[in-house]
Amino acid sequence: MIHEDMICPFCGCLCDDLVIETEGTEVVRVDNACTLGSHKLMNAGKHRLKAPIMRDSGRWRDATYEEAIEYTAGILLDADRPLLYGWSSTQGEAQGAGVSMAELLGGVIDSTTSVCHGPSILAIQEVGHPGCTLGQVKNRADLIVYWGCNPTEAHPRHMSRYTTYADGYFLENAFRDRKLIIVDVRKTETGSIADEFIQVKPGGDYAVLSALRAIVRGREDVVPPTVAGVTKEQLLRVAALCKEAKFGALFFGVGLTMSPGKYKNVRNAIELVDELNRYTKFTLTPLRGHYNVYGSNEVFTWMTGYPYAVDFSRQIAFYNPGETTAVDILARKECDAALIVASDPGAHFPKKCLEHLTDIPTVLIDPMHTMTTPLVRCQIPTAVTGMDAAGTAYRMDGVPIHVKKFLDLGYPSDTEIITKIFEKVTEVRHP
Amino acid sequence: MKALFNTGRTSAQGQGLEAKAQPEYMEATSICMMNPVDLMDLELEEGERVLVRGPAGEVILTAVQNEGVPRGTVYVPMGPYANAVIDAGTHATGMPDYKSCIVDLEPTDDEVKRPAELMEAIGGLAYEGDTE
Repeated sequence: MIHEDMICPFCGCLCDDLVIETEGTEVVRVDNACTLGSHKLMNAGKHRLKAPIMRDSGRWRDATYEEAIEYTAGILLDADRPLLYGWSSTQGEAQGAGVSMAELLGGVIDSTTSVCHGPSILAIQEVGHPGCTLGQVKNRADLIVYWGCNPTEAHPRHMSRYTTYADGYFLENAFRDRKLIIVDVRKTETGSIADEFIQVKPGGDYAVLSALRAIVRGREDVVPPTVAGVTKEQLLRVAALCKEAKFGALFFGVGLTMSPGKYKNVRNAIELVDELNRYTKFTLTPLRGHYNVYGSNEVFTWMTGYPYAVDFSRQIAFYNPGETTAVDILARKECDAALIVASDPGAHFPKKCLEHLTDIPTVLIDPMHTMTTPLVRCQIPTAVTGMDAAGTAYRMDGVPIHVKKFLDLGYPSDTEIITKIFEKVTEVRHP
Repeated sequence: MKALFNTGRTSAQGQGLEAKAQPEYMEATSICMMNPVDLMDLELEEGERVLVRGPAGEVILTAVQNEGVPRGTVYVPMGPYANAVIDAGTHATGMPDYKSCIVDLEPTDDEVKRPAELMEAIGGLAYEGDTE
């Protein structure tokens, strides 16, 4: 069976033009997806956990959904400070149920944002977000900047759908009319196709952004001959290119958010875009990795006022990244139970955090056997949103998209499982 | 040799995300991309192993030559291997230093551990059940 106009549930691009062919419960062909998306869709029916599993006397055993749900509700109710972490590869509906449960439990809810674009949000809270939709970029932008990111490997269709190789309504010959600037600490494949490749010494992004701001402000006299390994000539050239553009779009990745300076780097990038808006139209968009990590920020914000790392232990929503973020809570051994949903801290958190996860009762809700599986006491497999479950996901520019279901493998969705756990918790806390 | 430890995505790491128990994911995340001159300084050939010692511990990786990586830095795809050496401190931002820790590199003949062994070393229990 051929399914057209399907949405890819891999990265924040949420490409919506996929053609997927299925035979029974097998995906046999995926057209239009990038290597990452097609790998996910072609293989997501395989490698699935068949049923819930639980650790019992040093061994794994199969369990029923009912038993696993009962166990999860039990450990969350017994905990003084439960941590509900993840929420980025799941549907908005599940995220909403998670927030309600965290509030009722007096726990902490955090998404993978805290280890990807959390610092970007901190910067946006300080100085605002000059953003726009990806459609605007595709149709109008004649200058693209990728800073501290590598779309060729991490968002392989970003350039062909929205920037360098995409046809634009207001660009006659999009590929020739667009200039491409790449800023990175290493020369990647993306860097090799740039009109200007700026190689910054690691940790030097803040200085380079400041130098560009000074030049755009007309104060090139204060800029030294080289800044973090970048020559003044190149900085002058790049600043001129940015000012001459009709519409510039800056995309940035974790090269800014994880490097020394963290959110201050992003703040400086936003302020550079602000300066450039004195001359032309310029926008800035974080390249988001998980397909619905933006959704977790949206859902958490409508419900609590804060985008991630929300702590309900004071009976009200409290937010203080660095204190209420998952990595800090685990490193301080502060939580006494954890529910991990649709994410893999086992693969992506520092070792010290994982040691604490193994010390406390931890439950994982995830369709696959992941790096987190060995660390938990119980895993509940669910449907993959965008494959055997439908739901809402937010693209990296904040546009909500309904991701569709095209297979039925008999697994419950994340929303169904979280809602059932929430019901059990409610029975005890609000009988 | 001291080097700046940089982590991030590669397409092979991304392809392995949905099947982390498979050997492809281990291959994709247990590599240490280095400048060819640094590789030569360490008297290593591509494909040989390198011991990386960081603020939180050490890990054995397979050395891979990459001319895009500047001298004095190494690039390791994000995953359980990179995280074995990264400290959990976040300087009150919530974000660990995934791109700015300093590591020591030395050649080794020891084998690269399997991901399950890494997880067991920190108190986990490998799941070997049929997940096909």
